[in-house]
Amino acid sequence: MTFEQSELQRLVEVIIDLLQRYWHDPGAIEVIQSELDKLYRKIPIYAGIQANCLSQVVVPIPTNQLQEGEEVSILLKDDAIVVGKVSKVTPSEVKLVECKQFERPRSCAEVTLPIQNIREVRLLARDVLKREWPSLDFKA
Amino acid sequence: MPKLRLKRGDILRLEGLLSLQVEEGRVLISGGLYEKGSKISIPKAKSLPLEAEEDAVVDYSLGEGGHIEHLSERTIPPEWDALIRDIVDKRPRLVMVMGNVDVGKTFFTTYVANTLLRHGIRAAAVDGDVGQADIGPPSTVGVGLFERPVGLLYEIPMLSAYFVGSMSPSGHMLEFIVGMARMVERGLREAEMVIVNTPGWIFGGPARSLQLHLVELLRPDIVVALQQDKELEHLLACIPQTNVRRIPTSKSVRPRSRDERAFLRELLLGRYFNNAGRMVLDLRRVRLERCYYRTGQPIDQRSLGIREPILHAEKLPEGLLVVVKRALSQDAIRELKKRFEQVKVIEAGSERYLLVGLVDKTNELLGLGIIERIDYSRERMTVITPVRDRDRIWAVQIGSMKVKPSGKEVGVLRPGSF
Repeated sequence: MTFEQSELQRLVEVIIDLLQRYWHDPGAIEVIQSELDKLYRKIPIYAGIQANCLSQVVVPIPTNQLQEGEEVSILLKDDAIVVGKVSKVTPSEVKLVECKQFERPRSCAEVTLPIQNIREVRLLARDVLKREWPSLDFKA
Repeated sequence: MPKLRLKRGDILRLEGLLSLQVEEGRVLISGGLYEKGSKISIPKAKSLPLEAEEDAVVDYSLGEGGHIEHLSERTIPPEWDALIRDIVDKRPRLVMVMGNVDVGKTFFTTYVANTLLRHGIRAAAVDGDVGQADIGPPSTVGVGLFERPVGLLYEIPMLSAYFVGSMSPSGHMLEFIVGMARMVERGLREAEMVIVNTPGWIFGGPARSLQLHLVELLRPDIVVALQQDKELEHLLACIPQTNVRRIPTSKSVRPRSRDERAFLRELLLGRYFNNAGRMVLDLRRVRLERCYYRTGQPIDQRSLGIREPILHAEKLPEGLLVVVKRALSQDAIRELKKRFEQVKVIEAGSERYLLVGLVDKTNELLGLGIIERIDYSRERMTVITPVRDRDRIWAVQIGSMKVKPSGKEVGVLRPGSF
């Protein structure tokens, strides 16, 4: 194979890049997922256009360029995230409405969880290629 | 009617809406010879060059936006005429024209074929511009024959067309490349020479792949690279240089915006379906092509043990295909996946407005259709189509674009979902 015969690879690369940059930002991830879903439903055949559009879904912007009504996700200096709609911007503050706040992810060495507090346990698998297709598990 | 008195060598730009008749003398329009009594109409937003071969008198009338401009020099680069002289001398069988969008490939093709006609060479043109097809309706590649000079490519009579399935080769590369090969084959049967107009999709991996494989498949005698600068060099680097002729674009090229292209497509499709009627096809008699539906072993819906109403079920090598009235519950899908691993679910009605090709028993395209509905239990498909003779329809080729009969594009079908 010489050239890419579709833009699918570029789309996958854009998705990987977005996930790497925004994995800790539930606000951004929600918009990325919903836009990707919409793009795929509307133009499933045009992976290149999906990749172009998707890379414009989350864009860093200086606070002085924010406009009222825009939907933003703001990363604070303590790594907490606030998602909401801009209602007012002054040189000293940004006011958001319809907000959701997310704590910053914390590492901990050990934790004990009472069973009655657990709603669902999700098993995480790494190196699935090695498990499912060992002959294709090449050195990256 | 107003008259224009032209001296030999006078050059005009004719901008539509305009109609013109040669009263005396001979003029060249788009390279084609128009003599006493010849008429030409130029539609709105199109412009063509006129060159007086000898002193001439022409009558003209201008419509909305129509305009005639005297030019001080030719808009056709001298390299074009040198190339045509070579073509006349060497008589290649296949000439392929490459170029970015809006560099004037269609005009170049018309100009060359018209000029060849003056030298007694009858050329066919294959139009690979799927979205803005001049030969055949949008979503097809077509071939037409230059029997007389024309101002615009769409005026030549169509010999044949091939349904690609969408408005761009992207996502339909195989259909596109098969279509181009078939159209070239057809053109070579009818004409001494075929000029292939390729799509203006030249950047990126898929575009490179398509253009270069097209060259490998068709093996043109000459590749004409119509360039404004050096925008084709990345492709030409992979082609035997003995076959390549680099030529500049005409000075009168007018770029079209994305919106303008979409509007033109809508206009062309709307015009195509303007006199269309409704036709019911019996799917037990007419074959479906390019889809999963009706390619497997039918299964009794009741044997699936699903409570939701299922209109049709069949077993494919890839798993199960079911047609349902409304979306299946996650539980039902899980249940089916346990037995069949892969499950394709078609929601009845999702096929509405799907653009299809209607072909005869020799696989020749009779025309396009738009699916109105499929009655899955009675195995009937209702299509809106300008094709009149139902008995000639042997197969329906499923595309991926959804369009209304007005020509408006309303969606895209996910490949593999039908």
